[in-house]
Formats: sequence, structure tokens, C-alpha cells
Amino acid sequence: MLELTLQAIYTGLLSGGFYALVAVGLALIFGTMKVINLAHGELVLLAAYVAYATESKLGLNPLLALPIAMAVVVSAALLTYFLTNHIKKDRELNSLILTFGLGIILTNSLLMVFSANIYSTSTEWFFEGVVIGDTLFSMRSELLAFVVGVLSLGGLYWWLNHTWHGRAIRAVSSNLDAAKLMGMNPKQAEMWSWGVAGILATLAGCMLYTTSVIHPPIGHGLTIKAFIITVLAGMGSIPGVLVGAFLIAIIESLTATFFQSSLSELASMGIFLVVLIVLPSGLFGNKRIH
Amino acid sequence: MNKHIIKSLSAVALGLSLNLVSVPAFAENFLLGEHTPLSGKLARVGTGSHRGILSAVKVLNEKYNGQHSFEVKTIDDESSPAKAVSAVEKLVSQGVIAFTGGYSSGIIGPASEAAHKANRVYITFGGVAGPLSKRGHEGFFRINNTAGYGKAIIGLISDMGLKKVSILYSNKEATVKTAEFVEKGLTEGGVTIIKHEFDGHTKDFKSIINKVKLQDKSEAILMVGYETDYIGILRAAKLLKPKVKAMIGIWSLATGKMATEFPTLMENVYGTSMLPFPVAFTTSEQKVFHTAYTAEFDNEPSYLEQFGYVQTLLLGEAIIAAHSKGEVNLKTISEELRKTDQMTLAGRVRFDENGDNPEFVQRVGQHRTGKIEIVWPLSAKTSDKAFPGTPWN
Repeated sequence: MLELTLQAIYTGLLSGGFYALVAVGLALIFGTMKVINLAHGELVLLAAYVAYATESKLGLNPLLALPIAMAVVVSAALLTYFLTNHIKKDRELNSLILTFGLGIILTNSLLMVFSANIYSTSTEWFFEGVVIGDTLFSMRSELLAFVVGVLSLGGLYWWLNHTWHGRAIRAVSSNLDAAKLMGMNPKQAEMWSWGVAGILATLAGCMLYTTSVIHPPIGHGLTIKAFIITVLAGMGSIPGVLVGAFLIAIIESLTATFFQSSLSELASMGIFLVVLIVLPSGLFGNKRIH
Repeated sequence: MNKHIIKSLSAVALGLSLNLVSVPAFAENFLLGEHTPLSGKLARVGTGSHRGILSAVKVLNEKYNGQHSFEVKTIDDESSPAKAVSAVEKLVSQGVIAFTGGYSSGIIGPASEAAHKANRVYITFGGVAGPLSKRGHEGFFRINNTAGYGKAIIGLISDMGLKKVSILYSNKEATVKTAEFVEKGLTEGGVTIIKHEFDGHTKDFKSIINKVKLQDKSEAILMVGYETDYIGILRAAKLLKPKVKAMIGIWSLATGKMATEFPTLMENVYGTSMLPFPVAFTTSEQKVFHTAYTAEFDNEPSYLEQFGYVQTLLLGEAIIAAHSKGEVNLKTISEELRKTDQMTLAGRVRFDENGDNPEFVQRVGQHRTGKIEIVWPLSAKTSDKAFPGTPWN
């Protein structure tokens, strides 16, 4: 029983790191612009497909796809930003429809280019086991995704607090008018946040490709997961994203271990609802991009 | 004279307006309808099935060149039951005389219901759930079923002499029914079964495999799911290395694609397959199919393409037979389909009063260094089983 419990928590922690990586880009954009990018999961998936193309066509390690994927995904993220920015009225609401539509276009574009086949990395290194104390098992790719996830969130937190652009984003997020009076360009800050969200989506996509299988329809599921974590965290809170992601992932893992795997999503949704009832603003709701 | 023409035209107009789908005997172009998931979560299987259907139409057109022609109108149902129903209704309005295709019992159920209401024959291989053929639809036919897959797996496990098996199954209708069928059959044979349910969102199977390893201590793991599930399960199993003698899957596993894309993960894994891989097309029917398929598509066909081909070919031949007797409609096509009793790429096909194929029994293949050998039944085997054997052992 102890072995099962430890493995379940360990699995949850690793998954949580990856979930956080997927969710943080969405949280960042929401924190800055109050826009929920419903195409975020598809951007993650786009990066995963670039990694696949790099590996299968060029024979390179999928991690070497990062620069290419970053260029593609950041461009796509900025394009989404420019389109969103053209919404003149009710941007928060209308951007939902716009980004949802963009997500569908991206999914179907991937389907047309890469077909409906499932793909995963063929580099065996990623699937080699890492065993801790003969009790905790994981694949190298899962451990890598966890490390990349936690470091990315740490890096983002530092960037938001210690760089001019990061502080500008926080200022715009906190009080748009005051930020303008202080001479900041809100458009530039928004663009930065979309660009950084694109970089984070790229990292998540490459990790996704190395840990799991990809096929066109999964982008939507990633967006939903990211959205739940963002809301649970408290909109726009970076530490909240990490805590929320761990919470969701560990509950899913424990449910799969001690009840049924098919109840995992239900259990995490249950906790999500409970947290929102007790803390309507989420776990770190009163803080914004700290 | 004029009165006679007017009366005739009125009768035709009345017939058409009442939607009486009787195609007169001189009609030469037969329009078939297909709804299939070309996008959405079932896009891969839908694409495979669609290609098989197109190959069958090509073969039919070559066979009846100059006499009759076939055309298929396809609508992507986007893996959605509601869209499949709309597709059927739209295709009916465009004049299709029968349906071929569809995938997933949950989609085929309502779609074939719509076809039934429109008095159209509906033939498929994509929905294996039992209740589909128990609705009393005269025009519903399918060339495979849960029992055929279940019998193959029960036969394989019985031959292995295993006493305890863990079944990991997806909570979709077809997989639940198949898991229940196999459980019943094996339990009656004295095998202890422990079941673990998962859903389509499950990506990490370590928790379940750890339970199999530490609690179940089974001799084999039977996977009843789909491709992405199998990859997740096999990766988790390869990592945790439970002491099992065999990893067995139902459908979508012993395919050429799995063999070429995931060779090390698939090694020694069993799954149902009618033919080995690389496919040795030896009979004349197999060669005709292979020629037609490869003329259009640049990959080797799997069972999806084969089954889509078979169902459409049977439907086409039934339409021709009905046409030769004067009328092509639900009743006459159904009658002709019920006369079917022949060996096909999907094995022997014969339809009972429910439109089910009681002769359907799958074969079981085993992945071996990038190839798939048929290991069950004895009569069809191309190699002995590598048993015990798993991807990690």
C-alpha cells in the first residue's frame, strides 16, 4: 500500500510539473489582457508537431527542434495577439470566440498536414526508466518535463519581478491607466506576454511530444486543463498555477490508484469545485502576476 | 397520349415525393453514402475505413465497367453522433441508395437509426456493440462483432494456459462490452479476471500497471482500448516491468503502423489481425484489393482498409444483384445481402436475421522484430507464439 501511495504521489508531482508548464502561458495572457486564449492547447500541440517533423524529417533529437518550434509558435501566438487586438468591443468575451475558432483552424491544419496518425518520439532515451529507491518509477522524459516545468515557472516568476519588461506587464495587469500615465506602452507589454506565452507553449509542446503521443484532437483537452488550473490558481497567479497543477495532478493520480482511472477527471473537477466554493477567487486569487 | 404522359409523370413525381427509393432497372449509376470521422478523435480509423471504401468503389467500377458505375458521397462526421445523423439525412436528400461506413458504436447507433428511418441499407464494420444488431432494423448489416474479437482472445488465452489475467479496458461502449464478453468466456474456463477501467483522458497508466504488479500479480495483461491507450499502457508496463507472461490487445494494435512506428514497444505484443505484416497478399481477391489500394494510396493497408473494402464490395454486389432483378431498394438490397456466404479479406461473411455475421472470428497476430506473425488459430498461423514474451522480456 505504501509503495502504491508513494508512486501515486510521485507520478502526480511529475504530471503536475508538466500541467503547470502547459497552463502558465494561458495564465500569463489572462493576467495581462484578461483574454482567455482558447487556442493555447493548439499552440502547445503545434510545437509538438514541429518537434515531430524535426525528428522524423531531419533525424534530429526532438529537443533540437526548440528554436524552430519557438519561431513558429511565437509567430502564431503573436498573430493571435494581433487578431485579438483588433477586437474593438467586449474584447474579453469576443476573444473567446476568436481564439476558439483559431484553435479549430489550427487543429484542422495539423490534421491536413500531418494526417490523423498518432506520433511519439522514437528516441528511446526518453523512455528509459529512472528508478528511485526501487520504489519510485518514471521515464526520463517525465522527469525532464517536470524539471523544465518548474524551472520555467521559476524563471517566469523571476522575469516578472526583476526585469523592466516583466514589471511593465505586472503594471499593465495591475492598473492599465496608471501604467499609461507612468509612460508605459500597454500594447508592447501585451505583446511581450503573448511572446513569452508562445515560448512557454513551445517548451510544453516539446515535452508533450517526448512524454506522450500526439494527434490533432488533443489540443482542446490541453486548453481545458490549462484553463482549470488557471482558474483554480486564481487568475494570473504564477505560484498559484504551480500549486493548482500539483493539486490536480496528485488527486488524479491517487484516484487512479485507489479508485478507478476513469474517475480521475471527476475527482479533480470535484476538488476544483470545492476550492472555488471555499475560495471563489482561487487559491491565490487576490494576487496578480506576483 | 398527352394524358398518358402526364399521368406517368405525375406517378413518378408522387413516388419521388413520397421518398419511395425504387431505382428502376435501367439505372446504371449507384450512389452510395458514407459518413465517417475524417477529423476529430476517430480521424485515423475513419480515414483508414474511408480508403478501403474508395478502393472497393474503384474495384466495382472496374468490374462493371460499361454496365454500371458506383459513386460514393462522403461527409466527415467529425467523430460526433449528432453530425453523423445530419450527414445521413443530408446524404439521403442527395439521393444515396445505401450507406457504407461509420466508426464507433456510439456514432453508428444514431446514424444507422437515421438511415433506417429513411429506408436505406446501412453496412459497417465500425460498431461492434451487441445492441446495434438487436434493434430489428431490416437494413442494418455488419461484418464483424464483439463476439468475433472476444472468441479470438479467449482462444489465445486458453491456449496459453493462463490462470489469472488483468483486463485494462476503456469505458467506451464497445470496449466495455468486449471486456465483459472476454471476462465471461475466460471465467467459465476457470481463469481469474481482475478488471481495471480507464477513460479516454487517461494518459498515464503507471498507477494501473503498478496495481497489476503489486496487487493483481496476474500472468497476463489484456488491453481493450485504442492506439493511444496501448502506447500509454505499454510504456508504463515497460517501465514498471510487472511479472506477466504476455501483453495482449484487442483491435488497432497488430497493425503495420504500430509495427513500424513503435517497434521496440510492440515486441512480442499480441493483437487481433486478419493478415500478417508485411502483408502477403496471396489469393486473387487479396491481390485485387492490394492493387486497387496501392494505386491510390502510398502506404500498406491495415485491417481498417480491408474491412472498409469488404463491406463496400459486399454492398455493391448486393446492389448489382438487386438491380438485375428489377428493383434497388431497402428490401431487395437486404435480401441480396442476406444471401451472402463467402470468404473475404475479413474471413467468412454470412449475415443472420439481425444482419450480424455469426462466422466472424478474428485471428491473433504477434509483433516480432518489426513484423506481425499470425499465431492463432492454428489453421491460419504463420509462426508459433513467442511465449512467454513481453516487450521488456
